[in-house]
Amino acid sequence: MDISQIIQFTFSGLTLGSIYALMAVSLSIVYKVSRVISFAQGEFFVFGALTMITLTGIGVWAPLAFALSVLMAALLGSIIEQALIRPVLKTTLGTVITMTIAISLALRGLALLLWGRGSHTSATFSSGEPIRILDAALQIQVLWIVGVTGAALLLIWLFFEKTMLGIAIRASADNPVGASLVGISIRKVNLLAWSWGSGLGAVAGMVVAPLYFLQYGSGVLPMVNGFIAIAISGLKSIPAAVVAGFFLGFVEAYSIGFVSSQFSEVIVFTVLIVVLQIRSKAASGAGFDEKGM
Amino acid sequence: MMKRRIISIAALLFLALYPVTFGGSSPYHSAIMIVLGIYVILAISLDLLVGFAGQISLGHAAFYAIGAYASGILTVTYNMSPVGAMLVGLSLSGVIAAFIGWSVLKLRGYYLAMATMGLAAITHTLIIGMQSLTGGASGLRDVPPFRIFGISMDSYVHYYYFVWAMVVLVIVCCLAIIRSPMGRTLMAIHSDEAAASTLGINCAFQKTSTFVASSMFASLAGSLYAHYMGFLAPDDFSIFTSVHILVMVFLGGVGTIYGAAFGAMFLKLLPELTHTFQDYELLGNGLILIVVLVFMPKGLWGVITAVGRKLKLTGDAISEGNSE
Repeated sequence: MDISQIIQFTFSGLTLGSIYALMAVSLSIVYKVSRVISFAQGEFFVFGALTMITLTGIGVWAPLAFALSVLMAALLGSIIEQALIRPVLKTTLGTVITMTIAISLALRGLALLLWGRGSHTSATFSSGEPIRILDAALQIQVLWIVGVTGAALLLIWLFFEKTMLGIAIRASADNPVGASLVGISIRKVNLLAWSWGSGLGAVAGMVVAPLYFLQYGSGVLPMVNGFIAIAISGLKSIPAAVVAGFFLGFVEAYSIGFVSSQFSEVIVFTVLIVVLQIRSKAASGAGFDEKGM
Repeated sequence: MMKRRIISIAALLFLALYPVTFGGSSPYHSAIMIVLGIYVILAISLDLLVGFAGQISLGHAAFYAIGAYASGILTVTYNMSPVGAMLVGLSLSGVIAAFIGWSVLKLRGYYLAMATMGLAAITHTLIIGMQSLTGGASGLRDVPPFRIFGISMDSYVHYYYFVWAMVVLVIVCCLAIIRSPMGRTLMAIHSDEAAASTLGINCAFQKTSTFVASSMFASLAGSLYAHYMGFLAPDDFSIFTSVHILVMVFLGGVGTIYGAAFGAMFLKLLPELTHTFQDYELLGNGLILIVVLVFMPKGLWGVITAVGRKLKLTGDAISEGNSE
């Protein structure tokens, strides 16, 4: 195994890790506030990417298209929270999970009608030859992916640490009753969390759109991997979700590289099940499943 | 009680006469009913787990796959009899479910959903990966028709009767489980696991047994499917299949057995009636499910029983469970 191969796999680990980190963060922001893990999160990934491709296709300036797609996804997310999630929040966990599955089906069906069965890809954010390091090639887009991911995560950190609104969201995540007593509207906080989560999902889709061919069903894999990442992180904190996302990206990239692409999924899911086993022994009943069944 | 029996007899009579009446015009109609029966088994068995034991599983397709591929591989490659292969599949699913259930069912809520989803994904990938055994992505061909007591079920009508006999058997088994002391124990666990365990209920054992039963029914459905299709492709057993079955259960109504059966029929028949709108199917299914979840907490079956009650068919004649 020579060193340039290892470098090459590291690059793809960075790419995958960035996607999974963004998806994991978007899922955990929503979970922290509303105690819902949405199976529809991958659909924002698809909607973000395909909306941007369509907008740039009709000649909209790329950065503007990027911003519009994020806004659109955020808006879609908050509408969904208001209209569909809220009515079932007080029922069983099974119903909530099935509701997010229903939303995912509907959005995937909508994407099928809007963009057809074909695959779409977008232009890279900037042109330029791949950078060569030994025999490994680093595509410029990977730098964009890592850069945008870093910027998005920084933005989230600033929002949740430094702004009043962000602190209010954290307060109501920690203690909903206490937060509402000091005048924080749980309703608005939920809405805000969903729009952040959906917007981030869209960002994840847009940054990788130049590297992959995406179609209406492409949201499933990023969502599943985002799930695994937050399960590994134990939903403790957003930084933990980021770390778990990158960890998962590297596990997948190296197992594709060194074992086989066919069985990488088996390895990833085995990691998940083992981690869940350890967790269920370490803290049975705490945190994640307080809603129970 | 009387009316309940009349409805059951009417339903059985309809099923018995279907091939010679409605289905008589073409084998296609019997074929649809075979697929329908297979999905009814899948949905009912998942309802046993979700609706009664309260365990969300997205791994049902894994056991469906184990049954199907056990039947397929053993009859094609090893020339085993279909009945033998089916029994091997059932035992294999039972053992695997016991092994996995024991560890996974300690998890709750979202963790359980994720772990079982992982199970389905791993199974799907292994089927594609173990090419020499399963035929990989290109599929397993030439699974022979089902054969029992020397009778080969090579016509759709024969197989229709066999599959629906199995459906009735599974329904009877599930109802028996629910009405047994075990069923009551499960409902106790479902409503409050901590309280149930203070009453001396071994929750882990009860949940695992239900998981094993549910998985074996799914395996049976898989075997039936293998001999019906004669061809197995890995994508028939993906995570989406698990999701599809879960959707059927919630669409029909959780925790009633009949509701799950109705949900399966509804979701499978809908595209048959509207197949000119193929691209709209996904969106349509999503929207229907959303409407049901928001406005009909007891599912479509809940609405039907409510209407039935209004029409003086007396509620407990068709609604399940609390009638004795």
